[in-house]
Amino acid sequence: MKSSYLRAGAALACAVALSACGGSDGELLLGGSYSGVTKTGLVLLNNGGNRLEIPASTAGNGTGTFWFNDLVSTDDEYNVTVDGRPDNVKDCVVYNGKGRAAFNISSVQVVCTFKTHALNGSVANLKGAGLVLVNGSDRVEVPAGATGFAMAEVAEDAVYGVAILQQPANQTCTIANGGGTMGKVDISNVAVTCAP
Amino acid sequence: MKSFLIRPALALALAAGLAGCGGSDKAEFTVAGTVFDLAYEGLKLTNNGGDTITVSPPAKAGDAVNYAFPGKIEYGDVYDVRVSAQPAHQTCTLNNNYPVNADTAGRLAQISIPYLCTINDQAIGGTITGLTVAGLVLTNGSTGGTVAPAKDATSYVFPLEVKYNQTYGVTVLTQPAGLTCTVSNPTGTMGDVAITNINVACVPRT
Repeated sequence: MKSSYLRAGAALACAVALSACGGSDGELLLGGSYSGVTKTGLVLLNNGGNRLEIPASTAGNGTGTFWFNDLVSTDDEYNVTVDGRPDNVKDCVVYNGKGRAAFNISSVQVVCTFKTHALNGSVANLKGAGLVLVNGSDRVEVPAGATGFAMAEVAEDAVYGVAILQQPANQTCTIANGGGTMGKVDISNVAVTCAP
Repeated sequence: MKSFLIRPALALALAAGLAGCGGSDKAEFTVAGTVFDLAYEGLKLTNNGGDTITVSPPAKAGDAVNYAFPGKIEYGDVYDVRVSAQPAHQTCTLNNNYPVNADTAGRLAQISIPYLCTINDQAIGGTITGLTVAGLVLTNGSTGGTVAPAKDATSYVFPLEVKYNQTYGVTVLTQPAGLTCTVSNPTGTMGDVAITNINVACVPRT
């Protein structure tokens, strides 16, 4: 009597196990969009498997779309998670990553946020008021007598170019080391020198 | 027997129904809506090419502004709201999610036409002289994008435009091999016209 129950239980467990590893015989696409990806390293998983490595965005702005290679079946649960990140981002967050498939899913969003680093520099001999520095749309006023300045932080691997929007009263300033590409550490060597 | 009862009942119901919608007071509607992201003065909206109202920016920047045309229109009247004057430095258009600016009053319970305003942007660029080799890369700060003019180019324009009142600052990110390029008029604050005088002069490196 006992053994027959056991046998039935074993058969059931077997059947469950078999159905669970049904593989990629689904018919629905699973994917979405990503942003903040300018180099390789982003790896996505669905239900802990189905590994997908996202290449660097070809759009130039870090955005793109992705599709998992394996299809999912109708009524399957999906759960997209991040398994690896590019080394220039501090975090990647998945939105709309969980659900049950009823039709092709293109609504998963992966948003990666870049690491940022300070863009600082020194100022020499600034006597007049009115010096204004810009890094594109970032605008910083530097008061008379200042010996340093801090622009807004810049994303890792992004370029920067500090220029003078407005010269101080009665002086002319020049910039050395004003442009470059942000590395993994803060920039502090932008040098503004004013004369006379 | 049954039908004798049903027939008068139907007639009564019909009469009641007719009385319900027969009123001499037609329903009235206000032509109204909301403008999003309006930041500057000057927006004028016109209904049916006649009535015009001026919509001013909100007291608190970023808030939406509600507008309404004075006077009401009756059920069945048409309305057609258009922008007859754009605000300074901005362009307002119908919201793409609800691109209906004209209809017949009464088809919807309430008339509400949303407009969305965006800050105008303009291109920046200039002339180039002496660029005898490729390799020059110019950048407009960290967020303004880069441009890499080809060998022998005599002008350039940044692919990304600059919004009104934003600053720009063009610098040389990469010098071409053997040349030193300098930028004149490299910085400014964007106004209402494109900037074309950020000129680049390249000379052989000594």
